[in-house]
Amino acid sequence: MTVIHPDMADEGAKIRARDVCVYYGEKRAIDHVSIDISPDYVTAFIGPSGCGKSTFLRCFNRMNDTIGAAKVTGLIELDGEDIHGSRMDVVQLRARVGMVFQKPNPFPKSIYENIAYGPKIHGLAEKKADLDVIVERSLTRAGLWDEVKDRLEDSGTALSGGQQQRLCIARAIAVDPEVILMDEPASALDPIATAKIEELIDELSGRYAIVIVTHSMQQAARVSQRTAFFHLGKMVEYGPTSEIFTNPIEERTKDYITGRYG
Amino acid sequence: MAEHTVKAFDEDITRLRGLIAEMGGLAEVAIAESLDALVRGDETLAEQVVARDKRIDALEVEVDKLAVRIIALRAPMADDLREVIAALKIGGVLERIGDYSKNIAKRTNMIEGRARFEPLTLLPAMGELAGEMVHDVLTAYAARDPDMAREVIATDVKVDGFYNSIFRNLVSYMVENPSTISSAAQLLFVARNIERIGDHATNVAEMVHFAATGVYPPEGDR
Repeated sequence: MTVIHPDMADEGAKIRARDVCVYYGEKRAIDHVSIDISPDYVTAFIGPSGCGKSTFLRCFNRMNDTIGAAKVTGLIELDGEDIHGSRMDVVQLRARVGMVFQKPNPFPKSIYENIAYGPKIHGLAEKKADLDVIVERSLTRAGLWDEVKDRLEDSGTALSGGQQQRLCIARAIAVDPEVILMDEPASALDPIATAKIEELIDELSGRYAIVIVTHSMQQAARVSQRTAFFHLGKMVEYGPTSEIFTNPIEERTKDYITGRYG
Repeated sequence: MAEHTVKAFDEDITRLRGLIAEMGGLAEVAIAESLDALVRGDETLAEQVVARDKRIDALEVEVDKLAVRIIALRAPMADDLREVIAALKIGGVLERIGDYSKNIAKRTNMIEGRARFEPLTLLPAMGELAGEMVHDVLTAYAARDPDMAREVIATDVKVDGFYNSIFRNLVSYMVENPSTISSAAQLLFVARNIERIGDHATNVAEMVHFAATGVYPPEGDR
């Protein structure tokens, strides 16, 4: 049973998941999880390793399709549209629901090309001038423009780790997504680069629905307004971040966030 | 409550609770002894109360330091966080209670004609009640017992009742016998101090309730 804090009704749902289960072969990694992801807030998924939070996150843009043994059941809707429906184009879905991973993974191409690639293949820009605008806007929103504007032809992989991660966020933004999923986006970064990513998440919230998986509870507390706690494949508790961290309802949530977990 | 994975965290919390308990114990004794000194005119005891208040002050500083250290180093969450915040505030309130007792003790040599000064006999019962509130609220703190905290809050009206009747009594005494005005005025302050101690014990009770449950006691209690 999931405890859902009462004062979150009527927030509207960008993503609506109902009774979602994910199986890896015989093993059930996600066990009947239902959640509404608000369009206006940053939602954090927290929980111990192996609790299924990343697996669940990857359902939102059907990344689990790429894993042969994985099977997803239940309903997931994006703006009321079934993402597993026959009319849903998965490439289009992943443009609408972008993703940023734990390790920065820029293409081994120029900074410019890293950003321009998505808009090009999705037909968002026809002329070079349009692309230029998208590249500058995406890099600016990702807080990277000033640092790279004079070396857009340098390789993306030549940037520092923190810059690479912001490049990946800029790349996700470039195709004008509606949702950005982030799986441990700062766990490979130093505290300053982490702070920049967190500041960026703050800047981006409201414009995009953001869902972040993080091992750092402090980070969840800092960047999110909604927090869901996962344990053993179940969503144990879902509520406003300030409530989850000051006055959680479920004993298991409390034990985890206060550092008493197993 | 289950232990933290990081054991030193538990040690810090236990130490914080120990400091609050020690402060509370000293404050409780200070209330009783200051009134004892006042009623009997025991200036030696009064001086001891004043001197011992320094210990309460020093403990408050220790509570502050430890609480800040726990917040900085352990980043407490949920009930741990409430526990530390509550301790920080309770420490401040207990220090204040100590100050009121010190203030009462300092008035010991300002009362004249003690033997035939009847209003003096009204104060110990009031002080005892306020002292009980402090005692009970610390028991509630130690047990993390919100119900007991609410009982303490309910007791405050009795202390207020005492204050009102002592106030009227002292005023009529002053009207009838103007030569007692200076001593009676001192006792008004003493009564007022005890009344404030009751209010502060109520504040502590609210913090105990908050730390234990995450919410303040219902408005009707206060």
